[in-house]
Amino acid sequence: METDRRTLLRWLGKSSVFAAFVAQIGAAARAFFPNVLYEPPSTFNLKKPEDYPQGYTFDSDHRLFVIRGAATVHVISAICTHLGCTVQWRGTEFDCPCHGSRFDANGNVISGPAPPPLPWFEVSLSPDGLLEVDSAAAVPEGSALTTPTAKA
Amino acid sequence: MATDLQRVWRKLTWPWSPLSEREASEAIVRNLWLHWFPAKVSGRSLSWSYSLWLGTAAASLFVILTVTGVMLMFFYVPSTERAYGSIKDLQYAVSFGRVLRNQHRWSAEGMVALVFIHMARVFFTGAYRGSRVLNWLVGIALLLGTLMLSFTGYLLPWDQLAYWAITVGTNIASSAPLLGWTVQYLLLGGHFVGQQTLLRFYVLHVFFLPAVVWMLFAYHMWRVRKDGGLAAIEAVRAERRAEPKPMPRSKSYSLFGLTPGTSVAVMSSMGLEERDQVASSPNLTRRMILVFLAVFNVTLLLSLLFNAPLEGPANPAVTPNPAKAPWYFVWLQELVSSTTIHLGSFTISGGLIGGILVPGVLLAALILWPFFDRSPASAEGVWFARTRTRQNAVFTIISIGIIILIIVGLYLRGPYWHLYWPWSRRPVLPQVL
Repeated sequence: METDRRTLLRWLGKSSVFAAFVAQIGAAARAFFPNVLYEPPSTFNLKKPEDYPQGYTFDSDHRLFVIRGAATVHVISAICTHLGCTVQWRGTEFDCPCHGSRFDANGNVISGPAPPPLPWFEVSLSPDGLLEVDSAAAVPEGSALTTPTAKA
Repeated sequence: MATDLQRVWRKLTWPWSPLSEREASEAIVRNLWLHWFPAKVSGRSLSWSYSLWLGTAAASLFVILTVTGVMLMFFYVPSTERAYGSIKDLQYAVSFGRVLRNQHRWSAEGMVALVFIHMARVFFTGAYRGSRVLNWLVGIALLLGTLMLSFTGYLLPWDQLAYWAITVGTNIASSAPLLGWTVQYLLLGGHFVGQQTLLRFYVLHVFFLPAVVWMLFAYHMWRVRKDGGLAAIEAVRAERRAEPKPMPRSKSYSLFGLTPGTSVAVMSSMGLEERDQVASSPNLTRRMILVFLAVFNVTLLLSLLFNAPLEGPANPAVTPNPAKAPWYFVWLQELVSSTTIHLGSFTISGGLIGGILVPGVLLAALILWPFFDRSPASAEGVWFARTRTRQNAVFTIISIGIIILIIVGLYLRGPYWHLYWPWSRRPVLPQVL
């Protein structure tokens, strides 16, 4: 069947108007995915290693635990890997108040619904001697920072 | 004077004085307030014991929620810094602000309960069948809308419950495969719960969701009318059909194949007769007003006796111990707590199974149920029809299961989400921070 020019142009005209309409809906939807976020950076400084007592210290600003050993420091996330509640340190294990997940002293799952263990974060020493944590970089369990100034 | 006022009022609203039955019917159609009712309704549809008027009660709550909600909007500030304070102001500084907020809260919880019980009524009376399947589906959408309104609503005070509910809720969304992260990013307006999140949930709660629910509700009502009334009239219709009819005086057109469809005589014998119907006003309107007033007074009484819960201000560092969802979501909290599956080294989170898959399966079952119902038409519009006993049993068992999970979550869960008997002592927790 042959299409004459008038029919084709009419079809093109209607289609382009409709396409513009659909594109505008897409553009409006895109606005809801923010391009600029005013969120805290994933790399931040804590206090100096020697400012932390031996054992487990909860940092409420960054929702993590700073764990100071005899000559090492490491950082474990306090955000439950199940659905994001803050876990609590109970002397021997981390427990979650929302759905009952339990993690051992190294963050490994003992029981409960949490799928993976609590991540360890990369921790280094900034030039002015502060602990520098990168919460976007998980490191394998056991990778602790050896503190040069640690007074055992 | 009084008659003058009456005359003016009539002129404004109802410029019509009925002199006959027919004119009275037309008068309803011509009245500003009554024209959205049919002129006549079947007497059987108005029965108290058949429908228990649960839908009307739920709709009354929705009206109360809309009005109290708009009033609350004059006091509430959707900012993470001021939201909690504005709720405290409502509690302590605004005259009757506490009652206003209480009534909004108790009406909301009542609506969740009544919408569910209304659905149970429709199920147990087999009223979702035949031509009413579409309205059953609209009803499911309304149930979901009600739940979403509740969820977005209790986030707004920006207390601990609000903060941790958003955190857990959006993490459940993110555990969905493929689109999970995108949905979470869209809901939160970022990676963390913050100002963008509150504003999004606020707009969803005060405009978007109510608009959708109002439109669906209007459609729900319109469908009830188009389906001829409640399913209870099907028995009356069957009775009328069985009665011997006088021969039609004129021959039907379709006899000669001139027009398609059913003849006029046959059409009239399918419907209800004059004696089955009553005028909408006052028979329907009076009952509706009674139900509304009863519901309003119950919510008001509850609001005077009990205060709506408000936890401490949102604290991103510390999760309450235990952190409990409101009663209508606590069964989901039980599910996500116990459905993580380990298959060797492979783990599927309870967030996906208990938070998305199980509710998804229940929802799919509700949607598909009418299409697999093979019981005879006589089960339509009858409470606990013999032919539907097994179906009713399945619905009851699932409902009881959900209720048991709710009771376990509400009364047996203690600190760290451990199980305790209600009478057993719970450990005293050290102060965090």
